[in-house]
Amino acid sequence: MDIAAGLLQGFAVAAQPANLLWCFVGVLLGTIVGIMPGLGPPATIAMLLPLTFLMDPASAIIMLAGIYYGAKYGGSTTSILLNVPGESASVATCFDGYQMARRGRAGAALGIAAIASFIAGTVGVIGIMLIAPPLARMALAFSSPEYFALMALGLAMVVLLAGRSMVKALLSMLVGLWLAGIGTDLFSQTSRFTFGRMELLSGIDFVVVAIGVFAIGEVLANMEGREAAKALPVPKGLRNLLPTGQDLKDSRFAFANGSLVGFFIGVLPGAGSTIASFISYGLEKAVSRRPQEFGTGVPEGVAAPEAANNAETGGALIPMLTLGIPGSSTTAVLLAALVLWGFKPGPLFIGENPALFWGLVASMYIGNVMLLVLNMPLVPLFAQVLRTPAYVLYPVIIGIAVVGVYSTSGSLFDVWLLAAFGLLGYVMRKLDYPSAPLILGLVLGGALERALRQSLMMSDGSVSILVSRPVSALMLSLALLVLLIPAFGKLNRLRLQAIEK
Amino acid sequence: MRKSLVFALGMAFAVPALAQSFTPTRPVEIVVHTGPGGGADVLARAMAVMMEKEKILPVRVQVTNKPGGGGATAAAFLAEKKGETHMIGIFTGVWLTNPLTSAEAKVSLRDLTPIARLLLEPAVIAVKADAPYKTLNDFVAAAKQKPGELKQSGGSITSRDNVVRQQLQKVSGARWQFISFPGGGERIAALLGGHVQMMVIEPNEAGEHIRAGNMRVLAQVSDSRLPAFPNVPTLKEAGFNVTPVPQVRGVVAPPGIPRENVAYWEDLLKKLTQTESWKKYVADNQFEPAYQTSAELAKFYDEFTAQMRDILQEAGVKTVR
Amino acid sequence: MRAAKADFWSGLALGGLGVYIIAQAWQWEYLGNDGPGPGFFPVWYGIAMAGLSLALMVSSVRSAHAETIDWSGAGRAFATWAALAVAVALLKVAGFVISFAALTFFIVGVMYRRPLWVGAATAVLAAAVFYAVFALALGVKLP
Repeated sequence: MDIAAGLLQGFAVAAQPANLLWCFVGVLLGTIVGIMPGLGPPATIAMLLPLTFLMDPASAIIMLAGIYYGAKYGGSTTSILLNVPGESASVATCFDGYQMARRGRAGAALGIAAIASFIAGTVGVIGIMLIAPPLARMALAFSSPEYFALMALGLAMVVLLAGRSMVKALLSMLVGLWLAGIGTDLFSQTSRFTFGRMELLSGIDFVVVAIGVFAIGEVLANMEGREAAKALPVPKGLRNLLPTGQDLKDSRFAFANGSLVGFFIGVLPGAGSTIASFISYGLEKAVSRRPQEFGTGVPEGVAAPEAANNAETGGALIPMLTLGIPGSSTTAVLLAALVLWGFKPGPLFIGENPALFWGLVASMYIGNVMLLVLNMPLVPLFAQVLRTPAYVLYPVIIGIAVVGVYSTSGSLFDVWLLAAFGLLGYVMRKLDYPSAPLILGLVLGGALERALRQSLMMSDGSVSILVSRPVSALMLSLALLVLLIPAFGKLNRLRLQAIEK
Repeated sequence: MRKSLVFALGMAFAVPALAQSFTPTRPVEIVVHTGPGGGADVLARAMAVMMEKEKILPVRVQVTNKPGGGGATAAAFLAEKKGETHMIGIFTGVWLTNPLTSAEAKVSLRDLTPIARLLLEPAVIAVKADAPYKTLNDFVAAAKQKPGELKQSGGSITSRDNVVRQQLQKVSGARWQFISFPGGGERIAALLGGHVQMMVIEPNEAGEHIRAGNMRVLAQVSDSRLPAFPNVPTLKEAGFNVTPVPQVRGVVAPPGIPRENVAYWEDLLKKLTQTESWKKYVADNQFEPAYQTSAELAKFYDEFTAQMRDILQEAGVKTVR
Repeated sequence: MRAAKADFWSGLALGGLGVYIIAQAWQWEYLGNDGPGPGFFPVWYGIAMAGLSLALMVSSVRSAHAETIDWSGAGRAFATWAALAVAVALLKVAGFVISFAALTFFIVGVMYRRPLWVGAATAVLAAAVFYAVFALALGVKLP
């Protein structure tokens, strides 16, 4: 179907008052869900399924999709204000976002996050519209060696997150890899590092570690000071309540970088928004003129991961809509919803249901606009949250963390793990071990190992498969390049020192 | 005199109470071992909708997700709720195989109260549409010529995908590789991308790809031909003397519940399987209806686990029970 | 405590973990006939961990790090963590609302030395809000 004609038809569907209403409900719910740590889009969508039976399928999918990408907007809020990642994809936003808040620029951070999300979300929809089917076919060419190379590239980013001690950063990453390996090995069904505990059979949930290390660790660190009112500075003045022109200018590359990286990674089934946000963050830092400032609160450090995790939603919908293959847990639930309503998602879906597809696409444009309009005025409001005195804020953070973790798994064991990781986070802070590499290792470790073993199985043990395929060879070379960046830096410094002499 | 009168009166009341059947008075919980959107979760929610539509249950139904441990968490959860009369769980094949391979999965179906078996999930053997194999024989012969070179994508090595492979390998003497992928989407992508040559896939997952002409079905893993695939031979018909190991879904309940409770659940589920909505659901999803009562289910469980144990040990997987 | 000394001990701890990982991984299949087994990856990162820990310990012994880590506040942080642990333990017995209220009371009263009534009020209010928002409005299960 001609794209222009399709889009017109789509807007006709999406602009109906009922559908506009459902779109709004969806994005609003999504934002709220994104703010709550632990409660995520998959569970919310599943809970709403019985309701959707009473609705027109087009309205239903418009609403559910709204929840999906709306959650990515909301996830950044708690990351920035409280250092609590609302969603696994929002962890990278914590790095610079929370630091901006500490400097009194919470409003600017929230604003940049919203704008980045809007730009990236729109780019994602454009992508769906223009290149969905060919992209999906290209994504099929991506196999285990390429996934391995992608994960390796992601892990190579650790050198950019290192801070002062490279050795400590690497150790932190290795601990993350170990944590990722806890559980039942997929290939052999052997239990690894489960200490005989049934609860560890499926591994440690990433959310538990992230919230424990970041949020609880932060709270514990703040307990050291005796003064009560150690609350975060409330942003004053318009300059800090909203992003400035300079902020937007600094972030222009980040918007593009995040959108593209997020979108393309989203198309790959099995690679999600967390990886996308980390790679985008690392890439931004690598090309930045002020890399040493990353981690202290630079706007592009917020813009890049936020753009990535929003563009990823657009990308992840592509394999779902064009091939019937779910790329993430949320798209899996959406797929199940489509099946329950009697549709048959697969390669023929778009051709047979053009009104539904184009209606969805059009609604996503509308939804992104709605979210921008919704979120921007809320920014100063959210920033006021920081007014809460510390002695109320910190227990509340702990409470939110506990509820968030418990609501995902319903297991007290996970709450214990949360406490344990909180202690770990605090100790790591004291001993100057960076926590970002730990998260990186945890997120990528499982996928890295699986991809490596799958690749070697495919090639009957020959490692050359990793470099004989062009895409994976390219990404591995990039990874190597990234690893050498610190060496270049040192060489450069030595060279300058020699010149000075 | 008074004592015996009280006793007699007591008995007079007790006997009707014992004979009285169970009726639920508060919402019923269905426990599933997957997160939202997973197989068991979808089934439970569909059942909830059907029960309400057909008005066979007087109270609300709630789905409780207890993911983790390949089913071990949900099983342990049910085992803890001894005597709970308003809770049931959906079990699938992993509940039966997990205790065999994982020392930590301590709860087996025998520790719970089996209620009923509901469904069997058949599967088909599929290859990419442009592959040179037109029958299962073609594939196996090709595999025999190049041992260890052809590849199959699937789930873990205890999954049905691998069990089919083990059985076929045993009767044919061919050998091909099995590559595990954690998600159905990735397995299909591996096949469609040409990275593996064959996979065992559920018909409802494959349906659309077949319709679009991307996949071809070589054989079906079931005892008799499915209505949706009238022209595809079963394994036996294709010349492979293999009894398909079924992939089951059914209902269990916590241990220690009264007999009336069990009877109520059995009856409710039997009614459910006779409703129009259920029949439509089964047909749409291409399941095989396979209702068994709790007694039959218990027997099935024993046979199934013995069979699985043998298969796993032959495949070189360590069994702990 | 000097940073260098702390590095030494943490290096030792991580080195121990690395050795443990290698020991465990040794028991599993390193290279199966299909490909690398479950022991493959852990062996390698265990070795890396042990090696890097050693490097850390060595550098900490040799370095003249004059930085000290300020442990003075740590006692309060650990005390708060202990309170959190107690609250988590209480969750099973007393439920979320009570445990959370107790924890809040502790933090406000003990950590921040606010008057007891403020602590009590905050605790009750916060617990009530949590209950209202999560349990009632959202239907999220509380421990």
